[in-house]
Amino acid sequence: MKLGVLREQSPGEKRVAVAPANLERLTKQGWEVLVQTGAGEAAGFADAAYTAAGASIATADEVLAKADVLVMIRAPKADAPALGKLRPGQTVIGQLFPAQNAALVQRLAEQQVTALSLDRVPRITRAQKMDTLSSMANITGYRAVIEASTQFGRFFTGQITAAGKLAPAKVLIVGAGVAGLAALGAAKSLGAIVRAFDTREAAREQVQSLGGEFLTVTVQEAGDGGGGYAKEMSKEFIEAEYALFRAQAKEVDIVITTALIPGKPAPKLWLADMVELMKPGSVVIDLAAEQGGNCDLTRAGEVVVHNGVKVVGYYDYASRMAAVASELFGTNVANFLDELGGASKWHIDVDNEITRGALVLERGEKRELRPLPAKVSAPAAAATTAAPASSLAAPRPASTSSAPKSSGHGHNATPMSAGTKQAINIIGALAALAWLILRFAKPDAIVGGAAFVQHLTVFVLAVFVGWQVVWNVAPALHTPLMSVTNAISGIIIVGGMMVGAASHEGLSTAIVLAILATFFATINIAGGFLVTRRMLAMFRK
Amino acid sequence: MLTLLAYIVAAVLFIFSLGGLANQESAKRGNWLGIVGMAIAIVATLLVPGAKFHWLMYFALAAGAGIGGVMAARVGMTQMPELVALLHSFVGIAAVLVGLALIVAAPRASGGLRVEVFIDVFIGAITFTGSIVAFLKLNGKLSGKPLLLPARHMLNLAALITSVVLAVIFASGGHMWALLAAIAIACLLGIHLVAAIGGADMPVVVSLLNSYSGWTAAAAGFMLENDLLIVTGALVGSSGAILSYIMCRAMNRSIWNVVFGGFGADAPKSSGATAPAAPLGEIHDILGADVAIALAGAKSVVIVPGYGMAVSRAQHVVRELTDVLRARGIQVRFAIHPVAGRLPGHMNVLLAEANVPYDIVLEMDEINCDMPTTDVCIIIGANDIVNPAAETDASSPIYGMPVLQVWKSKLVIVNKRSRGSGYAGIDNPLFYEPVTRMLFGDAKDAMEKVVTALR
Repeated sequence: MKLGVLREQSPGEKRVAVAPANLERLTKQGWEVLVQTGAGEAAGFADAAYTAAGASIATADEVLAKADVLVMIRAPKADAPALGKLRPGQTVIGQLFPAQNAALVQRLAEQQVTALSLDRVPRITRAQKMDTLSSMANITGYRAVIEASTQFGRFFTGQITAAGKLAPAKVLIVGAGVAGLAALGAAKSLGAIVRAFDTREAAREQVQSLGGEFLTVTVQEAGDGGGGYAKEMSKEFIEAEYALFRAQAKEVDIVITTALIPGKPAPKLWLADMVELMKPGSVVIDLAAEQGGNCDLTRAGEVVVHNGVKVVGYYDYASRMAAVASELFGTNVANFLDELGGASKWHIDVDNEITRGALVLERGEKRELRPLPAKVSAPAAAATTAAPASSLAAPRPASTSSAPKSSGHGHNATPMSAGTKQAINIIGALAALAWLILRFAKPDAIVGGAAFVQHLTVFVLAVFVGWQVVWNVAPALHTPLMSVTNAISGIIIVGGMMVGAASHEGLSTAIVLAILATFFATINIAGGFLVTRRMLAMFRK
Repeated sequence: MLTLLAYIVAAVLFIFSLGGLANQESAKRGNWLGIVGMAIAIVATLLVPGAKFHWLMYFALAAGAGIGGVMAARVGMTQMPELVALLHSFVGIAAVLVGLALIVAAPRASGGLRVEVFIDVFIGAITFTGSIVAFLKLNGKLSGKPLLLPARHMLNLAALITSVVLAVIFASGGHMWALLAAIAIACLLGIHLVAAIGGADMPVVVSLLNSYSGWTAAAAGFMLENDLLIVTGALVGSSGAILSYIMCRAMNRSIWNVVFGGFGADAPKSSGATAPAAPLGEIHDILGADVAIALAGAKSVVIVPGYGMAVSRAQHVVRELTDVLRARGIQVRFAIHPVAGRLPGHMNVLLAEANVPYDIVLEMDEINCDMPTTDVCIIIGANDIVNPAAETDASSPIYGMPVLQVWKSKLVIVNKRSRGSGYAGIDNPLFYEPVTRMLFGDAKDAMEKVVTALR
């Protein structure tokens, strides 16, 4: 099987779907990789780097003709002439956005190809490693902050210097999805004071865990629209939201908006009057620029200056970090190809929910675009450190399992299972019955007689006392508890001594045995108490 | 009369002693109360009116105290489980000897007394050999794998029935051979019961043996008509039983399974048909230096220690790591699973030994809800207690056991010596999770590398 990597056709796109670093894995999967001449050039990967990693370089026409599977990042235009060169049965993989690109899907269907859209990969835990939207959003969020700092003529961090005091920059992030959270982390690590607004309550914890302040409005309405996106909100909610933004606009230096609604133009959140409320020198970074922008004044691909406020409408943040973006995208692609069986076991399995989610066309036949699964929590945060990039958490499925049973310990004496309770009741009843029989029957009728009954009473009481006492022990102290009880069980020493003292005619067998018993019991007592003392001495606050 | 009073005081002190262990503040006092109670009991017995002791008895007391003291002083905190198991065996053997001594001294004992002696000796012998096997398993001289004889339940049953027959023979005729034969059977039974238990259940086994040693003492109390022994034995017996019960519940396992050696015994229900034949996916390695980078960028870190930390004595390095991170203002906490290690509370003791403040050492229930907001979770030599299969895979032998949900954190670093499975011998899907990175190597070396890189 041959895998073709095409050069991106969109103007200004510097990324490439597969980087040389990804080739080792692809070769392992059994692919013979063909890379179009100059495909990685803009990302800083020379053709030689690809050949060194085991790929062959070919012209666009050769790649289109020979490859069984073609990978790309952005979908070609519906009228791109190259589409005519696709042959039935070929597979096309990329971020096709089929819901928005009906004409393209139509065109691909005419060529009878199989099309898999990476943006449709369901956002479930298992598919995280194939989630290109998240991996790219992570870069976008980080880069957005870097661009903001370029446009912003001041420090992010507060400083007190001999030349004067500088206040830290205040950053507002609208929409705490993957990109928003990545931006939050980056801005925070540059020393800014960061706030994040989101309609989804689930985002609160994530924002706070990254050290951001979570803002939301008081109109009660959950904003989880499934798939890690927020849904459109009611009119009252939006009014309250605008009021909050106007208050923030007077305060913050940098606003980063990230609000998207899948398949629709971006919602307008940062209106012209809010921009006018901002201090001159402030910056608005609109990450929704390509989908029409969250800000009234945004012009896609440009920086607009309005009243001294810069409104940045770039939409190629990931492309601005083309090398790393390509590597991450390539890793996502390799993981996705792995899911499809690699080159050796290539199989489009419609029963696999990941494949089924991504499948747009099968040999030219349209497959139903399933709505993205609704049960997801908001995207988890992305570590913007050099932590492995795939640890970038995409939305995770809400736990469907019931909460695990808590393990009961001392303080919160959790109820015992019904069976155990019953057993205890039965044992208790039997013990009481036995005791009554023993207590009121003729003494000589029973082994041991009345004395035995007394001992039995003492025994049962002591069992209950032990029961009561131990429930309250903190689990951390279970080892010391065990070694103390172990030492205390050395009380058997009293038995040894009693037997040993019962007769006094020198050393009989019984005395020797008793002395031995005493000896062993003493080891246990001394060892147990001393070890416990050592252990407890170590515990400190 | 005075002796009786002293015994009552000792019994009350023991109760307070156990109660004192309920929390850190009063634990030390609890231990002292135990020591004082024991001293009172021993002195009162020495001063029983009319009792004469052979000089060897005093020597035995002195020698035993000396040996016990040296053992306790020398043992490393990592060998704690072994030591506790070994000490249990001393109680067992002492009980057997006391029973034998009593019956040798009183050949004309009544049937009732003989039954009591028989019970005492029988439980004592099981405790004795069982503890020795546990000791050998814990210090690695025996393998942790369960020994599964064919028809083992039948063997146990046969042993019990034979013992009952022997008890009847002994009680009615006082034949010493019957008692000695029963001791032999009990010894074998003790070996078999513990040998049949898989490694994962070792903490429960140790606390069960602890419980047995209490019941032994109580049985001796019935035999000698001594309420102090009965009370103390019952205290220890019931507390050990509760501890075992608490742990079994933490592992979602029936206590009877452990008592009769049931876990890890049957092959997991899923035979090749449903189980994935191939490994579950890819394992991603990570180097110590990269772990350091990830940690340096974290806000909150959770460390999950397991037996691997104990084996390589890594607790001091882990404490260093904790200090370095906390000095940078990173929140570090420890998550302790109820059955981490080989003893209940094992990890807490090791961390305390390394001077980790106990207020950052949390129980599973206290910390599980914080996992989603944790940046980095470091697993040091733990496996089964962080296995997601316990929640998802109904065919897994540990299915239903509550586990630490480390996979919900943003990055999981798993330190392991090798690619082998855990003590329970189960594969762990956690290693193939996208958020997981494996840091292979001995816990101590690996953590030292991380600390060095952080510095």
